[in-house]
Amino acid sequence: MLELTNVEAGYQLLQVLWDVTLRVDEGEFVALLGPNGAGKTTTLRTIAGLVEPIRGTVSFRGRSIGGLAPHQISRMGIGYVSESLNLFPAMSVLENLLVGAYAVRDRTRIWANMDLVFELFPRLHERRDQLAGTLSGGERKMLAIGRGLMPSPSLLLVDEPSLGLAPIPTLAAFEALKQLSQRGMTILLVEQNVNTTLRLVDRAYVLEQGRIVLEGTGEQLLGNNHVQEAYLGI
Amino acid sequence: MTPATNLRAVPFARRYLTFTWLVLGVAAAVMVAAALFQPSILVDTFVTGGMWALMAAGLALVFGVMNIPNFAHGELFLIGSLVGFTVFSPIQEAILENPDATLLKVIGPFPGMIAAALVGAAVGVGLEVLLFRPLRRRSREQWVMNTFLLTAGVSVLIVNADRLLIGNDFRGITRYWDVRPIQVLGVSISVDRAMVFVIAISTIVVFSLFLQRTRIGRAIRAVAQDEAGAQMAGIDLNRIFMLTLGLSSALAALAGASLLFMFPSFPDAGVQPLYLAWYVVILAGLGNVQGAIAGAFIVALLQTLTVYYVGVGWVDVLPTAFIILILLFKPSGLFGSAVKGIWEQ
Repeated sequence: MLELTNVEAGYQLLQVLWDVTLRVDEGEFVALLGPNGAGKTTTLRTIAGLVEPIRGTVSFRGRSIGGLAPHQISRMGIGYVSESLNLFPAMSVLENLLVGAYAVRDRTRIWANMDLVFELFPRLHERRDQLAGTLSGGERKMLAIGRGLMPSPSLLLVDEPSLGLAPIPTLAAFEALKQLSQRGMTILLVEQNVNTTLRLVDRAYVLEQGRIVLEGTGEQLLGNNHVQEAYLGI
Repeated sequence: MTPATNLRAVPFARRYLTFTWLVLGVAAAVMVAAALFQPSILVDTFVTGGMWALMAAGLALVFGVMNIPNFAHGELFLIGSLVGFTVFSPIQEAILENPDATLLKVIGPFPGMIAAALVGAAVGVGLEVLLFRPLRRRSREQWVMNTFLLTAGVSVLIVNADRLLIGNDFRGITRYWDVRPIQVLGVSISVDRAMVFVIAISTIVVFSLFLQRTRIGRAIRAVAQDEAGAQMAGIDLNRIFMLTLGLSSALAALAGASLLFMFPSFPDAGVQPLYLAWYVVILAGLGNVQGAIAGAFIVALLQTLTVYYVGVGWVDVLPTAFIILILLFKPSGLFGSAVKGIWEQ
């Protein structure tokens, strides 16, 4: 479904990704792991069109999407939940979700997706008229994921849902992603919380200094020496 | 941390809300007193306030959404007045030739205003496509400063093009609707001034509903609050920017055309409306459209009171002094903390 081949990307003079090749198949739950500054977020930003690749190809459903504008990529069915969430703070929860469905013209589908979001996050339904800027950290994550689901994407990119969250909301966020995956959503998840993530996902890549260094199923990586030493502290 | 940044960190800090309410309360009390003792103050405030609201709302919108301090906004007022004059002049002659054509008399002024709004929108879209879009593509560094210089340049260009091509003289009309004044609150008010108020209020209501209730309006507000988030939701920034500047310019041009009987068209016609719109926007808090609409009426009230009780010569001095005073107590503007734009994040 999604394929990155030898992608290099970065910001002006600073190149971050040197040789990233990865693949996400339909229905898969894939994680991208690695230390701070490895280029995980840049990888997602490149897929979402916020960073233009210098070299290499990004293709989605057989079509090259490298260099397209972010809104075009979003409309092709790639949802992106960024690390900073990029919510609209002075809008209510409901309005944030409606903006998320901007590209959807079919009203019944908008309400169906909203029902799905509220079913997944009942808390958002309770807070539907509250301004996004006044939500708690966990609720903001829920809202960002919910907004990402509004255009019914076929691939969801999620950047560090655990960032800045206490353990319980973190688990709730992971639980929601797991549920989504079970419903057939294809997910590419970026995380630093290696232990939990590897138990959750089908497959994972490890990114270090802008290069993919390891790849395997969750179990394989949990048993891998390098992962155990560098990330799990075993 | 300076006090100013501290304030921003606490949204709607209670004491500042109180100060805002204090100012609004005083303004409301003055208006009630005016309604009782000197109703003409109230009428004047609403007529001029409505027009400044049209100007300031567009200015605030462009600053909030596109982060452009538009110093060419007054020239859209000028273009509006010019288009209004050009379209209305032949209609006026037709009215003079057929004094019995009632329908013509009633709807005659509207084509000029509509044409002004349309031309204004086209100029706004042109500015975005020809100037701001290429600049944005090249670099967004120093964006506010660069666009300020760019709009100031556009302003000089339009003013002098007007001087060169159209001429330095005043082009105005004495009235749009040649009928007897109407009575409001015991005050005799010309139909033109009443219509200006009606046009301004209905435009502002439609404009606010558009921003609050429609899909595109929501998208415009979304871009103002988080550009990247808006793009991630599938919003095409270029389209929104084009629409925003077009809309803002149309409002300014509409104001120019509707006020033609008070402000004739001449090359510097845009200067006073521009500065008034800036007073309003600074008073209300940059980029806050609803605040700008409320602020416009406060500035209009200050102006009217000055004219009535101090003298016309002080009409720019006292309101400005009051605005400075208010900013001393609330540096982010009266409604400054309610809406947060991209430049604050």
